[in-house]
Amino acid sequence: MSDGNARETHNLNQEGTVGTGPADTSAGGSPATNEDARSTDARQVEALAPELDLADWSREAYFADDLERHPAVVLLNATLPDAILDIIRFRNETTIHVRPELYREVCRTLRDDPRVAMNFLTDLTAVDMLRLRTSPRFDVVAQLYSLPNRVRLRVKAGIDDGQAVPSLVPLWNGANWMEREAYDMFGIIFDGHPNLRRMLLSDDWDEGHPLRKDYPLRGWKEFPVYNTERTVPRLRTRWTGRGV
Amino acid sequence: MAISTGQSARDDFRDIEQSPYGKPGEVISDTAAPTGTLTVTDESVLDSGEHQMTLNMGPQHPSTHGVMRVVLKLDGEVITDCDPVIGYLHRGTEKLGEAHRYAQITPWTDRTDYVAAPLNNLGYILAVEKLCGVEAPERAQYWRVIMAELARIASHLVWLGTHALDIGALSMSLYCFREREMILDIFESFCGARLTTNMMEIGGFSRPIPDGLVEQIRNFIRLFPGRQQEYSDLLTANPIWMARTKGVGIISPEAAISYSLTGACLRGSGINYDVRKAEPYLVYDRLDFEVPLGEHGDTFDRYLVRMEEMRQALRLVEQALDHVEAMDTPMMAYESPYVIPPHKGTMTTAEDMQRHFIWTIKGFNPPVGEVWQTIEQSKGELGYYIVSDGGPMPYRFRIRTPDFVNLQVLPHMAQGALLADVVALIGTIDIVLGSVDR
Repeated sequence: MSDGNARETHNLNQEGTVGTGPADTSAGGSPATNEDARSTDARQVEALAPELDLADWSREAYFADDLERHPAVVLLNATLPDAILDIIRFRNETTIHVRPELYREVCRTLRDDPRVAMNFLTDLTAVDMLRLRTSPRFDVVAQLYSLPNRVRLRVKAGIDDGQAVPSLVPLWNGANWMEREAYDMFGIIFDGHPNLRRMLLSDDWDEGHPLRKDYPLRGWKEFPVYNTERTVPRLRTRWTGRGV
Repeated sequence: MAISTGQSARDDFRDIEQSPYGKPGEVISDTAAPTGTLTVTDESVLDSGEHQMTLNMGPQHPSTHGVMRVVLKLDGEVITDCDPVIGYLHRGTEKLGEAHRYAQITPWTDRTDYVAAPLNNLGYILAVEKLCGVEAPERAQYWRVIMAELARIASHLVWLGTHALDIGALSMSLYCFREREMILDIFESFCGARLTTNMMEIGGFSRPIPDGLVEQIRNFIRLFPGRQQEYSDLLTANPIWMARTKGVGIISPEAAISYSLTGACLRGSGINYDVRKAEPYLVYDRLDFEVPLGEHGDTFDRYLVRMEEMRQALRLVEQALDHVEAMDTPMMAYESPYVIPPHKGTMTTAEDMQRHFIWTIKGFNPPVGEVWQTIEQSKGELGYYIVSDGGPMPYRFRIRTPDFVNLQVLPHMAQGALLADVVALIGTIDIVLGSVDR
């Protein structure tokens, strides 16, 4: 960093903080609460460290057939015992369903633990599960990646319409725009987001959230007709397949 | 005002303060102030912040590489706040993807990042192949590597030309687009299209490799290193280029991870993460290449990283071409039910035509599940997240474009920078607004 010029002093960050690896202790948009939570987590991890050292932290454990051997699962079972709802493996990818209220704590634990070290937020999005199940309606999906271990993990939290999910912006600044996009497209409220407004659509967009499954492909408004003096009747073709 | 090697633009700003035109805030003449001089002398106005100006840059500004608006708050020439406004090119690609069958989505992925279309195709096709459990034949995988790396060079050439054009080196854009034209000619020979190629297919390549294509690529491999040396001679040691890029837009490694940066923005800060090395797809684990890393995380380092990436991409093309030239194995995994039936016979026998017709009209039903596939695109990590409910269309189709995520570091970099550096900062992130807005 030391190029010896004045530009170096401009690392201001007003949207959150620079969340780093395990050594960082200054995480949190609201410093007091996050600091407490962070130190609580760290204390828990330290207290359980001897016991957890018996567990298998090797790379094979991430892809073992026994899903309970997955290091992230081992860690979460030890630190946040009731957080995990379901574990799924498909095409060698592991998905963990967690309780929405513990979503941020789960991600913080996975990020701060030096052995699991899921310190990179690759993607954050949502899925509208309207046609696949009755409740909860949405899945908030975070794709985590561990730069030291080179493994991926998908963390999901199911929420209902109107229910808030904790924002990940205190952990990663990169979550800012991704959560804004998820709010824009699905109407998901992220609790603790510093600037939750529309991302891709205009600020005065009044037609709802387009990626919801009950949103028609062409929108709610009437499709404009440009050639009103047309003599040959227009053929309406149903080109959308499923209708939505 | 002398610009010496390694001196930052901020030092030039100090020179202006000592210039004969007077300091900012100083009135030289009673009648008229020289252009560009701040003439506010009332201390209370300066303290209240009312002299701050809001400048709307874009959406039709040529240096924003498309239609992006940046709302800048300026204190004189120093940026105090920056808010990128995007979405002017939003076409709802994800919604469209959920209304099309799997094989129909490939052309939509062309339109996201339209300067590196084969790479977008590749990421999507790999995601579908992962979902269906299809593996393309080895020969097709080598050809995919060749086309992907050529597309990377083409994308970097567009970046270099426009980035240098923004900063003031007009001739670079002419040179870069000249070489990009050769790559587009190769694409045209290979698949018939130049920009939105729709090149990759599920299962490999169904079309034969045209005659003369290998010679065309060999010709490019022979020519390009010398041409790239020309760019390097023009820019790397150029005092103006160094003054405009060195120390501009520094991103620390911690900030790069926190902002989820990928690609040259991450590697310019010294973090070694390249999907081709970390999670090798295609045949990248059999090919020899290196991942360049920066040291300071500034615009100049990202420039060096991308220049080296072009050299490494050319190495990859050459190696893959050496492998594939003598191969005479199939190009398409026709044995899989998820792959389009052979075109051969569709015009002569009814059965072949029916099978082809039914596959095209009905598509195929992949297994229920969800996959996440990333590739190293020219701008960073391109991810496709497909949730399948077992139907012929994806239930959820998510594109994680690298430049959408990378762009949110712009306010972080622009804090305290000069107005003239904003175009350099936008250029160094390497955005294409079609990819940002999707």
